[in-house]
Amino acid sequence: MITKRQLGLGLSLIGLLGGIVLFALDWVGASQFQGIGPTQRILLGAAGLLFLVGLSLIPLGQRPA
Amino acid sequence: MSGNTQPYFRSRAAVSLRIVACLLVGVALLVFIGYFVVYTNYAAALFRFPFDYDQGEGFELMDTVLFSRGRWPYQDINRYPFYSSNYPPLFHLLTVPLVWLFGPQYWTGRLVSYLATLVTAGAIGYAVQREGKRWWLSLIAGLSFLASNYVYHVGSLFRQHLTMVTFETLAVVAAAVVIQKEERRGSQSWRGWLVVMLLLLAAGYTKQLAYATVAAVFVFLFLRQPKRAIRWAIPFGLVTGLIFLGINVATNGQWLTNTITANLNPFVPGQAIGLYQQWFKLHTLLIVVAAVFSVYQLYFERLSAYTIWFVLATVNSVTAGKWGAGESYFTTAIAASCVLTGIGLARLLNRFEQESSSQDRHGWAGLTDWCKRISAWRAAAYVNSSHPRPSAQSAPSAFYLAQAIVALLFLWQASLVFHLPTHTPLLRSVASLLGQPAEVMVAPQTSCSAPRPPQPVPYVDTARVTLLGRPPTAQDTAAGIAIANWVKEGRTAAFSEDAGFNFYAGRDVVTNPTQLLNLYQNGQVDLTEMMAMLDEQRFDTVILRAQFYPPPVLGVIGQRYRTTELIEMNGFVYCIMAPK
Repeated sequence: MITKRQLGLGLSLIGLLGGIVLFALDWVGASQFQGIGPTQRILLGAAGLLFLVGLSLIPLGQRPA
Repeated sequence: MSGNTQPYFRSRAAVSLRIVACLLVGVALLVFIGYFVVYTNYAAALFRFPFDYDQGEGFELMDTVLFSRGRWPYQDINRYPFYSSNYPPLFHLLTVPLVWLFGPQYWTGRLVSYLATLVTAGAIGYAVQREGKRWWLSLIAGLSFLASNYVYHVGSLFRQHLTMVTFETLAVVAAAVVIQKEERRGSQSWRGWLVVMLLLLAAGYTKQLAYATVAAVFVFLFLRQPKRAIRWAIPFGLVTGLIFLGINVATNGQWLTNTITANLNPFVPGQAIGLYQQWFKLHTLLIVVAAVFSVYQLYFERLSAYTIWFVLATVNSVTAGKWGAGESYFTTAIAASCVLTGIGLARLLNRFEQESSSQDRHGWAGLTDWCKRISAWRAAAYVNSSHPRPSAQSAPSAFYLAQAIVALLFLWQASLVFHLPTHTPLLRSVASLLGQPAEVMVAPQTSCSAPRPPQPVPYVDTARVTLLGRPPTAQDTAAGIAIANWVKEGRTAAFSEDAGFNFYAGRDVVTNPTQLLNLYQNGQVDLTEMMAMLDEQRFDTVILRAQFYPPPVLGVIGQRYRTTELIEMNGFVYCIMAPK
């Protein structure tokens, strides 16, 4: 059984890695836009939200997810 | 007012409130049943219409015909008749028996799809009833799915999408039921999960988009029993992969090219954002309640299969922004939101019934105790997530007030999805009575001819001005026959954007324009033979509707054919062309 804390850590990690990958797209020049493109901005927002939701679940501890 | 008269008036008020609540529930039920009647009438009109109503229906019929003859529709599109399909086989295989019995008729697949939507609505109702035990709410939840503009538009078309949603819904409901039974009994049911896996497999082999629901079910199982989720994922992946490889080998690689490579279409962010906005505007109640209930589950109890499904389906709806995709990509999220809204509101009502019963025992002062009990309720949620309905003997005022509010909310939701054909005086009167226009002005869709002025269309829809939703008329059928007669006058099959005219004339169905364009955009087609045939005027008739063919094909048509007739059908102006 997965706990709220584990779920929170998992979601935070996915959000964080997602954000890094999205920024990395610019560094490797894979984006067609200079700077952050419109789709990239939406995805970055989603990754940030996922990270924050994950963080907020961590204090819920051992409760079942 | 003396202390003796207060209970009398309170009792009268409670009775009045109960009557009002029951009336509102009755009205809400009638409205959603009304939407179901409208949907069924539209479906019946489509069953009678023997041509394409939505672009692409005829090619799904062609897929079914090929399967009925024991042939794959995943063919080499570079060779005459240049036909191939980009959809998995299950929906067409389900329709094959009807084609064997009745021939290549459009109503066969339309009937299968319509019946599938009824099964989905039934599964939604069952899921809500199982958790909430309120028949009227379960009924409205199921009917809300059918009342969605999107389901109405595409539910009874010869398209496989809504059958995929049926298998998805059945799979998620089955997963929720199996896990609940397992946790209650303390034993594992491999047969139950086998059924879930088969339903997921069926969904995926009806349409590729079901991968989000597959992910949702495995995430749900992983949260409850991680090792078991992995143990099921391995055979599921193997079987899915083996079927995929088997079809790919049997079709000499055409399956991979046509169902995967050809679907890598460009993403249009504006299209996705616009559709998300419209989806929210049309289904506000369903989405808000489902979202609030999801957040509640995330923080205060265990996540249910329905919540995970709703979240992943909503995220996956972003694929509606792909070229060639559209509103139907939201129907999985709509089904999930109907289940969550039904369960969420049923649990709220059950809690009100339980809590307000004790309020009446203690008088209105007991209201202050209500908040204190919420924390105890939340704690109890962990112990028993199914929340059985309390057995209160007499349901008091606060409960009926809540019931009335729920009914009013559903009536508001009903107004958001308003859609009604207005081709009869009675329906026009209904529209006028509800403050809606009796008809809207829509310009016929032209692509190969000069624009035409707007015409009155007897169909009102809050989604937008749309050509889907208006039942086809006798004039549309006559127009289709007139176009098919042009094909019959020639000796060859027509090079036509709709398959229906060749079917009607008994000629070959030549190419599948959207699939041809998909493959062209992905650099997976060689147009040499097709261009040569068009250049040599080997087709006696060319029929254009939306000019979906790749630009080089349209170019050679323009050089070698001339428009001889313009015929309007279903709000589209078809260009009938003959060799120059």
